[in-house]
Amino acid sequence: MTQTFNPDLDLSISRLIKAPRAAVWNAWADKASFEQWWIPAPALCKVVAMEIRPGGAFETQMSENGGEFGPHLSACFLAADDQERIVFTNALTGGWRPAEQPFMTAIITFKDHPQGTEYLAHVMHKSPEDRKMHDELGFFDGWGTVIEQLAKLVERRH
Amino acid sequence: MENYSSELDGLFQALADPTRRAVLGRLGQGSASISDLAEPFDMALPSFMKHVRLLEESGLIRTQKQGRVRTCTLEKARFAMLENWLSEQRAIWEARTDRLEQLVLAKQEFLRDQQKRETGR
Repeated sequence: MTQTFNPDLDLSISRLIKAPRAAVWNAWADKASFEQWWIPAPALCKVVAMEIRPGGAFETQMSENGGEFGPHLSACFLAADDQERIVFTNALTGGWRPAEQPFMTAIITFKDHPQGTEYLAHVMHKSPEDRKMHDELGFFDGWGTVIEQLAKLVERRH
Repeated sequence: MENYSSELDGLFQALADPTRRAVLGRLGQGSASISDLAEPFDMALPSFMKHVRLLEESGLIRTQKQGRVRTCTLEKARFAMLENWLSEQRAIWEARTDRLEQLVLAKQEFLRDQQKRETGR
């Protein structure tokens, strides 16, 4: 299947990782490894479910400061080709159950490269309604508001 | 892309402080001198200058000295980078990929060292 790229809604990140494809895949598919990179430190990540098969649940939780773990990502795998491709969306949860707040679909591909592995993340976001929400929140209204909104973004990030 | 990511890191770091956000808010109304900007804050001038320098390094403001007065101006083009809704998501995925890469490389190195130790024996 070919994916079209919509520059307003999608982002694509490719990276040449100088390691065999199996090693990169394992960093994804192994829960303990995944927890180490999915969320930036000092926040902690806990993988609640990672059933890498179509329809399998994919759920992570986050603890901001070593305290209680709260929801982070609740998604469903759509495709899983061993060491080649992982597709997941948070439009669904495990077992293809519709989710409450759909937002994105991500396609992760792993390809052999003479120097290692070509890792590609193609992330597609929901229609501009989310952006409209940003607009309604005043994201673009005047610098003062922009800065307030940015501050919120920053605080959410850390 | 790594540059883009570290630039965003710089921007977010610059914004992650109430004093600096207040300074940006004030500059949103127009350029101002450092002494005017510093006035509302109960802070020694050298401490305040650190905030100004960090903002300048992030590219969010520029400063210009005329005689004995240094004036700060908001660098509006810089905000475009942050205003973009996708930028936040991109920054998250860039940083995530950085961490994935680092983890994989660290594991590879560990395995290589282990192999060396075993064959060295």
